[in-house]
Amino acid sequence: MSVLQIHNLSKSYGKIKALNDVSFDVSSGSVFGLLGPNGSGKTTLLSIILDILGPDAGSYSWFGQPSTHVHRQHIGSLLETPNFYHYLSAVQNLRVTQSISQRGDEIAIENVLKTVNLYDRRNSRFSTYSLGMKQRLAIAAALLGNPKVLLLDEPTNGLDPVGIAEIRDLIKGLSAAGHTVIMASHLLDEVERICDHVAILKFGQLITSGPVQSVLADEDCYLLNANDQEVLASVMQNFPGISRVSKTTDGLECYFKIVDIAPESINQYCFTHDLVLSKLVQKKKRLEEKFFELTAQP
Amino acid sequence: MFLNIIKTEWLKLKNYLTFWLLLLATAISYPGINAIVYYGYDESTKPKNQSGQLIKMLVGNPFHFPEVYHTTAFLSSFFTFIPAIVVIMLITNEYMFKTHRQNIIDGWQKKTFVWGKFISVVLVSLIVTLFYIAVATVLGYIATPDLDKVEVFAKAKYIPLFFLQIFTQLSFAFLLGLLFRKAFVAYGFFIFYGLIFENIAVAFLKLKIKQLGGVDYGQFLPLEISDRLIPVPAFIGRFNDTDYKIALESIDRHVIYSLVFILLTWFFSFYIFKKRDL
Repeated sequence: MSVLQIHNLSKSYGKIKALNDVSFDVSSGSVFGLLGPNGSGKTTLLSIILDILGPDAGSYSWFGQPSTHVHRQHIGSLLETPNFYHYLSAVQNLRVTQSISQRGDEIAIENVLKTVNLYDRRNSRFSTYSLGMKQRLAIAAALLGNPKVLLLDEPTNGLDPVGIAEIRDLIKGLSAAGHTVIMASHLLDEVERICDHVAILKFGQLITSGPVQSVLADEDCYLLNANDQEVLASVMQNFPGISRVSKTTDGLECYFKIVDIAPESINQYCFTHDLVLSKLVQKKKRLEEKFFELTAQP
Repeated sequence: MFLNIIKTEWLKLKNYLTFWLLLLATAISYPGINAIVYYGYDESTKPKNQSGQLIKMLVGNPFHFPEVYHTTAFLSSFFTFIPAIVVIMLITNEYMFKTHRQNIIDGWQKKTFVWGKFISVVLVSLIVTLFYIAVATVLGYIATPDLDKVEVFAKAKYIPLFFLQIFTQLSFAFLLGLLFRKAFVAYGFFIFYGLIFENIAVAFLKLKIKQLGGVDYGQFLPLEISDRLIPVPAFIGRFNDTDYKIALESIDRHVIYSLVFILLTWFFSFYIFKKRDL
């Protein structure tokens, strides 16, 4: 089942197209990474699906229904920066969150503050917090009442390496417990470690989306085809250095553990096994190249 | 739904020291201005000599029941700019902390957010009106020599009029806060407009009344609309009887104008907040 469906969303700020005809689905239980360099439209997209920005065109739906405020109550969200009342303490701020979202209670507030290691400072005013602590409070607010869907925009912003690792474990734990997590990040490494699905945005356009291993594969992939796909698959299974093969409508995707494998050797190998290739294309770029392609200025 | 809104707004405000300090400042300013004027009046009418009696004859008994409700309302209304800070802060704080976005993200509808502010402005107006009632009643008891001979509540209509005036003007302050989003811009505008610009404009329009087809357009200006709910008190009004009579007669009309103004102000507030990107 789809938790979130996005259809052809577009949004412009004057001449700048922040989002251009973006569509994708997020299925229930997945950890979905929204990836892209600064200014690629990630926050704009998240703002639209949280109803604080109106799209110029397109639509979206939560849980298969047109979005309402009740859906937002059931989504734990952290958007861009931690937004809290500076003069209130962590507990007092979370009471406001609780009152608006109707998620959780006093005990839940204490529990989430313990989860993000902010319990000892729970009665200090928000204005006295460091950047990392503010971020932790924002995560606590999103976690309040154990929502089924979490929407986190750059959740590790301002956190130290320990904090980043804690959040990573936290998200993995949530995923294991069946929660759906949608997170935006420009940190490729982070997304690759946590997410199972990704969508990549660049200058407001969706470059690609799908399972993380096929999008961000840190391995060489070749697309092969021959008259008999079955035979080709069984032959390629035994290729030295192969990691896996998968059949697609375009042909057979072969993933190699060896980096920089020579296409000649594949061709040679198939020929010696009485197979003539009708197609031999390098399909995916490696992670690093992908990253540079993604972040490069035009 | 409304209980939840009130609870949430209360959670936002109850630990906000500045909010309470500003209400305290209002609470002090009302008895302050009234006591000063009362003291001046009391001092100048006390002497049993001719000048004392003459002043008494001229100004009457502005602090006696029931006239005290009128006098105090008029004097207190000079200090609307203090609760106006409170109201402007209520909305510009949300913009400053970006909590206006967070409230929506957490599950409020945009209209719920504005309803929260509407209720807060009503509550601030009520609190301020209570201050005024307390000051007027206490002063009345102090100043009125023979309580049996007066109808204490004969001019108690100034209580709802005072509330209507303060709510109209605070609604205007709120709209400015919503429009400008920055406290100092909104408040600067409110002060400059309220204390300087509108007074000049009202006087100017009155001066040009003949050229404008005999219509006093000044009465429709945002603050003047409700300023005229509480005309100058009798002790000043009596120096120009015809004008004073006209002022008293136009109160009813300005009740309607003020209600329309409130309606428009909040209609715009809801509309702007709904349409504008957060």
